[in-house]
Amino acid sequence: MKWVEKKWVSVTLLWLAALCIWQLGALIYGPDVIPGPWATLQGGRELISDGTLVQYIGISFYRVLVGWVLGSLLAVPVGLIIGKVNIIRIFAEPFLNFIRFIPPIAFITLFLVWFGIGEQSKIALIMYATFFIVVLNTLTGVMAVEEDKIRSARSMGASEWQILLHVIVPATTPYIFTGIRLAMGTSYMAIIGAEMIASNEGVGYLIWNSRLFFRTDWIFVGLFCLGFMGFFTDRLFNWFGRKVLYRYGVVNVAARRR
Amino acid sequence: MSSLAGSHAIQIEQLRKSYSAQTTGDVHYIIKDVNLVIKGGEFFVLLGPSGCGKSTLLNMIAGFVSKSGGNLKVDNVEIDRPGRDRAVVFQQADSSLFPWLTVRENVEFGLRMKKTPKAERKQISDRFIQLVGLSGHEKKFPKELSGGMKQRVQLARVLANDPAILLMDEPFGALDAMTRRTMQKELVNIWRETHKTVIFVTHDIQEALLLGERIGIMSVGPSSNITDVYDNPLPFPRDVASPEFYSLYNKIQGHFEE
Repeated sequence: MKWVEKKWVSVTLLWLAALCIWQLGALIYGPDVIPGPWATLQGGRELISDGTLVQYIGISFYRVLVGWVLGSLLAVPVGLIIGKVNIIRIFAEPFLNFIRFIPPIAFITLFLVWFGIGEQSKIALIMYATFFIVVLNTLTGVMAVEEDKIRSARSMGASEWQILLHVIVPATTPYIFTGIRLAMGTSYMAIIGAEMIASNEGVGYLIWNSRLFFRTDWIFVGLFCLGFMGFFTDRLFNWFGRKVLYRYGVVNVAARRR
Repeated sequence: MSSLAGSHAIQIEQLRKSYSAQTTGDVHYIIKDVNLVIKGGEFFVLLGPSGCGKSTLLNMIAGFVSKSGGNLKVDNVEIDRPGRDRAVVFQQADSSLFPWLTVRENVEFGLRMKKTPKAERKQISDRFIQLVGLSGHEKKFPKELSGGMKQRVQLARVLANDPAILLMDEPFGALDAMTRRTMQKELVNIWRETHKTVIFVTHDIQEALLLGERIGIMSVGPSSNITDVYDNPLPFPRDVASPEFYSLYNKIQGHFEE
């Protein structure tokens, strides 16, 4: 049974099994409740042919990417400072632990009021969804830097600034990377919520709006798009981490488990 | 005192380190009233049981730990912070080496902080990598090296900064017996070649006798200090099996059995 353990075999089998169960469900409950694989494919073609699907994926992706990148860029230095400076950490930590329990979706209305119904409110929401996760991970990483590393750098004549740049940042890189990667997931969740409530474009809008026409197949198309978008961005990011940040100890989680 | 004014002499007078117990507020001394003069170029061993405060004393000389009283001077200058003149070789190479840097980059760290030109950096790192016997391993990362090799990297890394004083905190404690013997021999050779002042902390009597020109015995804490200093005039390389070695060994061991 060694051949089952081959990755492409197991993956193919998994997908085939999922397709079968899906099809079975569609046969039992009817296409209005569970649209089958074929019906979903048809729905997808419909949406692709009039251009909406590509446009929606594009807009959702754009929002996530901009908010996520900006949020991360902002969060890393903030996390470094909070982790490095004790006084700031004492004040910031309770606040961080308070606010991280407020899900981004809960802020949608407020953000609409503050930033308007345009792109800004959505991007701000993604930034919010990204920011605290990355800050907390960065901060944890800074706290985990071994004292010996800092001491040895200091006795080799490194200034505090050099210690931050040449010791703390590289030592914290795996934590930052994990934080940014986790933030990607929450960003997708946040954008779908935002698009459902306050948008007329995007994958979230597609899923939400399809209910008006009772097009459950379109909802399925939307769900699949989300899954693929997340999957591929995560893979891409992970690949980047392994290739570029290898020396910092950023490794593939799946590979390490083996 | 004038006869002791050799280069890089360390003068310790009535040195204390205390802390207040959190609950009672009582003052406890880790070390109390330590007096010691170490000559420039000397190999001095601090010998004592675990928890006697020898690492604390070493960390105070390094400038990592502040004193609570007394004087601590290098070349007649009071020590209050870490400095390039006092290099530290830590017990745990894994926590003090930079895993994201190669062997060469680790060795060049101090020079890079000092902004030494690249060509000169390479010249210096070549010399010390060769001195510690790591030629051919320049491009490896610390995780690819054995425990003994990692300690060699630490040694080369501090020597590249040309410090006057080497502070070594049980650097061979985590090595296997064979590697340990080799490292001890090579350390003696390196010391004789570079003329550094060495303060070497250990709880191993044999190691102390193999390495030190003088051996300071620290009493069991709390309030520990240096109770006796033994001269060890045996010529290098020292022979563990010689009668002189044996009698010195017994003398020191007797000290601990009292």
